[in-house]
Amino acid sequence: MRSWILILFHRLGVTVSAPMTEHLDAVGEMRFLSGCVWRCCFARPWRWREIIHAGAQIGVSSLPIITLATTFAGLVVTNEIAWHMDTALNNTAMIPGFTARFIMRELGIAIPALLVVAKVGAAMTAEVATMKITEQIDALKLLRIDPVAYLVFPRWIASILSLICLTLFAIAVTLFFAVTVAVSKYGFNVDEYLNNLRHFVGKDDVIYAVVKAGVFGSVIPIISCAYGFRCKGGAEGVGLATTNAVVASTLAVIGLDFVITYVFSIIMG
Amino acid sequence: MTGAISGFLHELGGFIMFLHRVSTIARRTKGNLRAIYGQIVYVSYRSLSTVLFAGLFVGAILVIQFNSMLVQYDAQVLIGGLNTSAVVREVGPLIISFLLAGKIGAFTAAELGTMRVTEQIDAVQCLGTDPLQYLVVPRFVAIVISSVLLLMMGLVVSVVGAMIVASAACGVNPWEFMASIPQFTDGWTVFCGFFKSLIYGHIVAGVACYKGFTASGGARGVGKAVTQSAVYTNLYIVIANYIISDLLNAAYEVGKPVMERLF
Amino acid sequence: MSIRFDEVHKSFGPKKRILQGVSFEVKTGEILFILGRSGVGKSVTLKHIVGVLKPDRGAVWVDGQDVTKLDELEMADIRRKCGMVFQHPALLDSLTVYENVSFGLRTPQYTQSLQRPLTEAEIRKIVLEKLSLVQLPSKVLERYPTEISYGMQKRVSLARTIAPGPDYLLFDEPTTGLDPITTNAVNELIFRLSRELKVTSIVVSHDMNCALKIADRILVLEGGNILFLGDVQETVRTKEPLIREFLAETLELLTPEERSRYGLGEKGAKK
Repeated sequence: MRSWILILFHRLGVTVSAPMTEHLDAVGEMRFLSGCVWRCCFARPWRWREIIHAGAQIGVSSLPIITLATTFAGLVVTNEIAWHMDTALNNTAMIPGFTARFIMRELGIAIPALLVVAKVGAAMTAEVATMKITEQIDALKLLRIDPVAYLVFPRWIASILSLICLTLFAIAVTLFFAVTVAVSKYGFNVDEYLNNLRHFVGKDDVIYAVVKAGVFGSVIPIISCAYGFRCKGGAEGVGLATTNAVVASTLAVIGLDFVITYVFSIIMG
Repeated sequence: MTGAISGFLHELGGFIMFLHRVSTIARRTKGNLRAIYGQIVYVSYRSLSTVLFAGLFVGAILVIQFNSMLVQYDAQVLIGGLNTSAVVREVGPLIISFLLAGKIGAFTAAELGTMRVTEQIDAVQCLGTDPLQYLVVPRFVAIVISSVLLLMMGLVVSVVGAMIVASAACGVNPWEFMASIPQFTDGWTVFCGFFKSLIYGHIVAGVACYKGFTASGGARGVGKAVTQSAVYTNLYIVIANYIISDLLNAAYEVGKPVMERLF
Repeated sequence: MSIRFDEVHKSFGPKKRILQGVSFEVKTGEILFILGRSGVGKSVTLKHIVGVLKPDRGAVWVDGQDVTKLDELEMADIRRKCGMVFQHPALLDSLTVYENVSFGLRTPQYTQSLQRPLTEAEIRKIVLEKLSLVQLPSKVLERYPTEISYGMQKRVSLARTIAPGPDYLLFDEPTTGLDPITTNAVNELIFRLSRELKVTSIVVSHDMNCALKIADRILVLEGGNILFLGDVQETVRTKEPLIREFLAETLELLTPEERSRYGLGEKGAKK
């Protein structure tokens, strides 16, 4: 009887953990890349041209999709919170505070980060992986250009800065549409709404958003490039690397989101 | 900006045409149940661990956020119900299907894209088999079914994750947490979660198959197909989320008096 | 029973005009080589026969049917008659070699043409027969495509194409990217299969060397039109500058007996 249970648990453990092992292999590469990138911070010259180029690519290319997605998120969030407040608490006065806090601490940060994972992170992996299998990375090494300093570092800096800007922008868009819905559908006055909002959110929340966005922005390019550098084989390898990078980055964003949220909840009470 | 909009509309149009073609073929032919079953097992097995991981953390994140707000109103007793309702109705399906877009969607796009650029799809066609029927329909059906299963599993786990964190970090004991769940969560909430999962499953499956099937241009093309599949899945899910939420809320408003009179 | 192109025009967008009125006929039982520079529309021509591409103007006749006017269902019947071999082996990775080769034998079009589905034993017999035709040992049957060498994958792909017994074999750059030894083996296979199975073959290639060895007739495309169409002896004697360029190296390497077979004099005698 006991052995049956043991076998069951064993099988369950294998089933759950086996697909994870392919990601564990990439962790070494990520640690290596983060070390290199950290060293690049103190090395001259900073490749400003590449950083600005990468920033333009990351920021501008994902701006339309983030605008579109956050617009719909803003439209939905007031409705949902109002529904909960209304049916559960019979108290609609709390809507502005709840909405604003939820947007500034979670929704307005997680949605842009996850979209950047799909849009920028995946494209980064696909690009690096294609370079790897077409031997462009080897060519860089032969030209005595450090591929990490040339490819990863500019993207890393650019990604941190652009994700912070994109997050602040996304929060603004989401809040704008949340207020619009609250005013037009639930009869709030704009001044009243903003007054109510000030009780709940302040400078702390902006810092909170910037820290979260910065952490996500620094993790996404490292993970994406690590899978790109490890790519093997032809077209199939590129597809596999990109898939794995998207999954690993998404999991990293969700996991780190929890850790940061928890730490801040202790600090800010 | 107009370029971006017209590009998006073009993309959406192509996607809908593709869905129409796949559904016509799926209805016309008898499904190959063994192929579909194999795909379901394969897809679910590959994604189970990641979905469970994500579900656990989504519940945990939200419970901390809710706690910080509810403490100010001294309403911590409500946390279990409020959290469960928010996760099952809204945040859970959204975030977990973002993950599925990467895990299942991108994987399928990569698989079909590789088949396309190495001419395997042309080969199937030249041997007299419809590649849509042979390659796409089983994957499509299997992804829809396993996405729904995985999402529901993720939602259950997210409640567990929330309960663990609530008792460990917020000082709400698990019995209190469980007791407040029925106050907010009823059959309708579960139905909302299920309905959203069903629609998101269709989006994940459709976009992945469409992007993979229409890939072109070697290794670079496969990379592009995977990236675009992830991006458009996420985008369509956010838009669908808005439409479905509105529809469900409207249905609830209409249905509530009817249900009250009946029971 | 033949393939005929009738004033076929095809362009991809306004700038990229590929075929501009191509007409030719393929004789039953011959091996026709289509040569030309990269991007001149050789593969495009081939894809018109199996209806993967449709022409902007003109007609493509296969067995007296205009394939440009057929719908997908009727097209499936044409595709059964035309075996297509791709540049890549294009084997389905999820199936074993045996399942790959027998793939075409299980399609509804094939079973309809026989009026009954084949039994598993019959399928096995056909598969083994075709595998021995392409000189593969039967031990590869249960392996997956990724587990065998590239040259073997090419052979499996050939076996898969000939399994349903096509009337026409279409080869899309069968030897591009192969080493010289495998190239020779594949060329020899094309020649032997075409003769033994008594099928009509069209080979798209840019390898003049292979063309001289195994072709009955050679067609050269240039600038969207047919530059030249003739048999091997006509080809080596033509004064067309582009073809002379194609031929330059090849002629140097010919053995004396090959030279006499093509109707050329002693080496260096004729220039």
